[in-house]
Amino acid sequence: MNQLFQFLLRQRIFLLFVALELVNLWGIFKYNDFQHTFYFNTTNRWAASFLAMGEDVKSYHQLREVNQDLAQENARLHAEIFKLTAQKQPESKIPYFLSEGMLTRYQPVACKVIDQSTQMSQNYLTIDKGTRDGIAPGMAVISSTGVVGKVMSCTADLSLIVSVLHTGNNVSAKIKSTGELGYIKWAGYQPEVADLQDVSKYKKVVKGDTIVTSDYNAVFPPNIPIGIVAKVGLEKDETFHDIKVMLLTHFSTLKYVYVIKNKLAAQQALLEQAKPKPE
Amino acid sequence: MSTSIQWKWYGMLLLTVAMQILFLRDLAIGNMAFCFLYVWALLKAPIQTPTGLLLLGAFALGWTVDIFYNTHGMHAFACVCIAMLRPLVFKVLTPANGYDERSSVSLAEMKALWLFPYLFIMLFTHHVILFLLEAMDGSLVGISLLRAFFSALLGILIFGLLELFSQNK
Repeated sequence: MNQLFQFLLRQRIFLLFVALELVNLWGIFKYNDFQHTFYFNTTNRWAASFLAMGEDVKSYHQLREVNQDLAQENARLHAEIFKLTAQKQPESKIPYFLSEGMLTRYQPVACKVIDQSTQMSQNYLTIDKGTRDGIAPGMAVISSTGVVGKVMSCTADLSLIVSVLHTGNNVSAKIKSTGELGYIKWAGYQPEVADLQDVSKYKKVVKGDTIVTSDYNAVFPPNIPIGIVAKVGLEKDETFHDIKVMLLTHFSTLKYVYVIKNKLAAQQALLEQAKPKPE
Repeated sequence: MSTSIQWKWYGMLLLTVAMQILFLRDLAIGNMAFCFLYVWALLKAPIQTPTGLLLLGAFALGWTVDIFYNTHGMHAFACVCIAMLRPLVFKVLTPANGYDERSSVSLAEMKALWLFPYLFIMLFTHHVILFLLEAMDGSLVGISLLRAFFSALLGILIFGLLELFSQNK
């Protein structure tokens, strides 16, 4: 204690200096309008940036939940879109109305991708929902940007999806602007690019056209975006265009997908079973 | 330290502060050089003045000017700063045979080579602190420094003239 007093006594000049300057600073920032606002703004800014930093860290940790919420929200919106597009009256002169079954035909379910590959020539994804959530083999899987694939098999809590990046998984497609039909087939390499085949060389295809799923697709709802035409080539003796399509789904960074339950799939399958088989 | 010098100092203190408040307040040369005559009392305080007393005096002097300048605390801040700096400057600028027989800061006793660096260091420090506090803006640092420099030159000129006149007496 004594030493402390001695120290204070030795430093009394300096302490006096500091005390006086503090009084002055207090006066400067308290009574001068400009300096006062400066002080206020600056401390406000520091406080704000500090708080923002904390908020950043917090929001980073909340991203998981936020993503989940967004995926749910997206699923709900997808359902709405399917309903609305179905509701849109086709251009026909005959009076047409939509049955309730058709209106609520597609029900998306948000799922998280837990495993996937893009570098193989046959690629699959595993998602975190299964039969317990009503998912069954054959259902379509899309992402928020485009098509993903088709459910291949399910367990109670997991499902395996055949990706579009699979040489055996073709998707019936059309060119959005002209309605020209074809199908998307992956060449087995380059996870960003697929081929659009079966488009006659007498039809006009332009670079930049959007490719969507066709109306006669057994798996996908109509008009789900697939990709953009990146290159149109034509071999001399071919009958079809050689079209390269830039896929809209970024498979390598896929986190959430939507499995689309088709309520009428069973009915459709049953009906089509009754078709007479060709000899 | 004779009493006559002391009385003269007190008289000059009142005079310079009054001049500062009444006339020099609105005076600026080319919006660059400002005259802060009131610092005279601080600069000319006897060399043996205890630092504590000097600090308190500078504080009082600064606040007095601040009240009339409406700049609460800025002049006082700069004044207390140079009052703290003064003993250090004395140490750095020690004349050849020390301060023993010298008691007052003046051209007659200290000679030009000591006085003018002393004046410049003190004035420049004071003005830099003052202008920066006043501007309180990063983009005005350049002009504040320029102003401090020109004001310090003006200060040296005026204090030099004062010294010459007091020498002649």
